[in-house]
Amino acid sequence: MKLILMSVVCLFFAACTSVQPGPEIFDLADQAILAAEAVGGDEFAPVEMRFAREKLASARLGMEKEKYEVVVYLVEESEINSELAIEKSRTAKTRRLVNELRKSNEELDASLRATFGDEFK
Amino acid sequence: MNRCLLKISLVLIPVLLVACTATPKKDLALERVRDELTSLKSNPELAGYAPLAVGEAERALRNAELATGDELYRAYLVYMADRRIQIARTMAEREQNEQALDALKQQHSAMLIKASQLEADQARGEAERARLLVATTSEEAQRAREEREAALANEAESARAAQLSAEEADQARRLAESRASEADYARREAEIASQQIDSLTRQLENLQLRQTESGVVVTLGDVLFASGETQLVDGGLSSLEEVVDLLQTEPNKKIRVEGHTDSLGDAETNLQLSEQRAQAVREALISLGVAADRVTALGMGEDFPIASNEDEAGRARNRRVDVILLDN
Repeated sequence: MKLILMSVVCLFFAACTSVQPGPEIFDLADQAILAAEAVGGDEFAPVEMRFAREKLASARLGMEKEKYEVVVYLVEESEINSELAIEKSRTAKTRRLVNELRKSNEELDASLRATFGDEFK
Repeated sequence: MNRCLLKISLVLIPVLLVACTATPKKDLALERVRDELTSLKSNPELAGYAPLAVGEAERALRNAELATGDELYRAYLVYMADRRIQIARTMAEREQNEQALDALKQQHSAMLIKASQLEADQARGEAERARLLVATTSEEAQRAREEREAALANEAESARAAQLSAEEADQARRLAESRASEADYARREAEIASQQIDSLTRQLENLQLRQTESGVVVTLGDVLFASGETQLVDGGLSSLEEVVDLLQTEPNKKIRVEGHTDSLGDAETNLQLSEQRAQAVREALISLGVAADRVTALGMGEDFPIASNEDEAGRARNRRVDVILLDN
């Protein structure tokens, strides 16, 4: 009975105070931003890139102010914004390809019509 | 101790029940994220793409919905769910773009294939035209060559004729000279000459051509038959030679021979006469080499005059045989 009470108390304290995370907690978020930059995140997903950087900056601030629980949330929020920026950039690139090819097909169609007339359907 | 536990339980159970059943106060952010996921899943253009990412988004949303307590933690979960949904949406869009890209690539190659087919067709058409042109040109060249040869032959012929007439004239002149004193002879010769000229012009008149709706009509004048006769006059056959020459230039065309008379005499007799004459001309044409199955003879009687029957000149013109080279 006493043991159970002790563990409950311990758990409660652990949840409330939360231990200080190591400085390596930012590493993954930093790498995610770099990866997003590499695929053109600043061009294709500027809003998400800004979120990712701001959240990470806030996380570092939280670390200084020892609000460790918030630091974990902010780091993850930064990371997921980088992830979204990467996905959006890749999607934007395929969309660009689609538009280019559609335009090129239209031009080809027009020039073939000019060459062959109505025979070319 | 037991009573104490019971009391605690009595207090705790309603609290727990309230916690479980009570709807948490309406969380607008969560509501919005839930709507977002619903709209993604019900979008007909995106539904079905990126199923794994959608699954992750659903799990994140469920975490946010189940979370209790700490407001900060719940806000974090809702935010993560929202981002997961955005990720799923953009991946679905990408999948859709990839498919559009494939379709466009197919369209592109289909157009190129079609174009090369048309190009081949055109080249074939041009080759065919070129071949025809070559054929036509060589035909033309052949015709030109033949014409040139014919012209040369003609020239030789005329030269020979000129030579002959010069010689004849020479002879005539010598004859005239030798008989210069004999005025009678001279006069008679002059008469003969004028008769020859006369018969020549008549012959030319006999071979009058005219184009009608049914074809070329050669009108043989009133020289082939003696009055009332149905047999060709002597020499009539030879005057048809020219006509046969003309007819043989179009060997594939049928020929109709029509006999016509003037209006003197009985119409029935005239009809018979015209028919017999047409028949005689038909046979003459055949004897001169025209294929028998090309020629039909027809008596037309007096009903188709080409001139007035009031005077002899008109009647003479009406007495005729028309040889018609039928157009079809």
